[in-house]
Amino acid sequence: MNIAMSENDLVGPLREALVVAAVAGMSGTLRVTGDPGGTIHLANGRVAGIETPGAPGPEVLLLRSRRVSEPAWDAGFAAAAAAGVPLGAELVKRGIIGSGELEALLCTAVADSMFVLASGTVDDYRAEQGPVDFVLPLDAGAEADWLLTETARRLQVLASLPVRPDRGRIVAASGAEPLDLRQGEILALADGRRTARDLAFALGRGVYATLLQLARMYEAGLLVTAAERAGFQPGGWKLGHSAPSGTPAPAGELPRRSKDPAALARRVVPRGRSRDLPASLGLLRPRGRRDVDPGETP
Amino acid sequence: MTEDKLLAEMQALRDRVAGITGTAVASRDGLIIREDTGGPDPDNLAALAATALALAQRLATEAGQGTLREAAIRSSGGHVAIYAVGATAVLVLLGDEGLDIARLHRESRATVDSIEKLLG
Repeated sequence: MNIAMSENDLVGPLREALVVAAVAGMSGTLRVTGDPGGTIHLANGRVAGIETPGAPGPEVLLLRSRRVSEPAWDAGFAAAAAAGVPLGAELVKRGIIGSGELEALLCTAVADSMFVLASGTVDDYRAEQGPVDFVLPLDAGAEADWLLTETARRLQVLASLPVRPDRGRIVAASGAEPLDLRQGEILALADGRRTARDLAFALGRGVYATLLQLARMYEAGLLVTAAERAGFQPGGWKLGHSAPSGTPAPAGELPRRSKDPAALARRVVPRGRSRDLPASLGLLRPRGRRDVDPGETP
Repeated sequence: MTEDKLLAEMQALRDRVAGITGTAVASRDGLIIREDTGGPDPDNLAALAATALALAQRLATEAGQGTLREAAIRSSGGHVAIYAVGATAVLVLLGDEGLDIARLHRESRATVDSIEKLLG
């Protein structure tokens, strides 16, 4: 399988939206309606930040993980607003976070949010040109090609995992003993009320990194789903990613591109339907690379 | 029986809106009717929510802004949203930082109506 094929298959309508925006060098927003939906902030065709209810943004990643204290954040926020300077620059100037660490965290946040958007359903998207209005933009912006490839890779991995971002509330197996502090944190929070997304917010970690950790613990018998605990079989998992609308492009054919952002803005994508991935994808597993998120010590 | 249906409505809303961490229904005089808060003390929550709703309604009236839709509180660690259920009860929703506010506005109305009918 080559990666270009899987992008077509997996990322869905957002793939074309991002490619078109990248080619046009668009600045502004792509408003994505769907579940979870969200807003993609673009700067010169690159992704500067993503807001979605489905994944923690930079503020949650920094504060909930206790990497940055609330008083330090508040002081930096107030000073940046008063001086009219970017918040990121102010946090770095104050020594609250290193510029490299901040950039890595923002990049991870963008990739995580894009993965979550693509793993859900996309009913529609709309492009609006304008200035970048995001609290902590990624200065250089994430390149669309890289982001799409990374998203496709993560969706492939997701297909092989026993957990989904927003479905299945997770509960600690009876008598589960954590092997380390991080497992202990998760077991303490896995009370049958939280999905993987909820745990990611509670921990201040990316949803993707949380899913990988949950899958390891699930396979080790430390976790079960609330449905399993109640006596149901976990056979009902479905991958809720959105399928591209209409007839899929033949293999190897690139989507039609438009350089006119106004034309992009007029486009309305019919509601994407969830469908299961081909069973063969279920066998794919990450190989030869370690997935690390900013909350994880490599 | 009504209480089970009440709890089912509250949990259904939690399933429909990403980021809701807990729910409670209280009387306007601040006594808990049914709760699924997931941690925070339901009795304290009920008392405070009833008071906050009354204050928010007076504030909206004072500002000449018509009928109160909801009282929403945003903190560094999440959200609290309070809705009037008829003239006798209050619905309290707790959410994390990522609570989908737009969806909550759309979805909560039907839940409030259903709860109002259940409470009769």
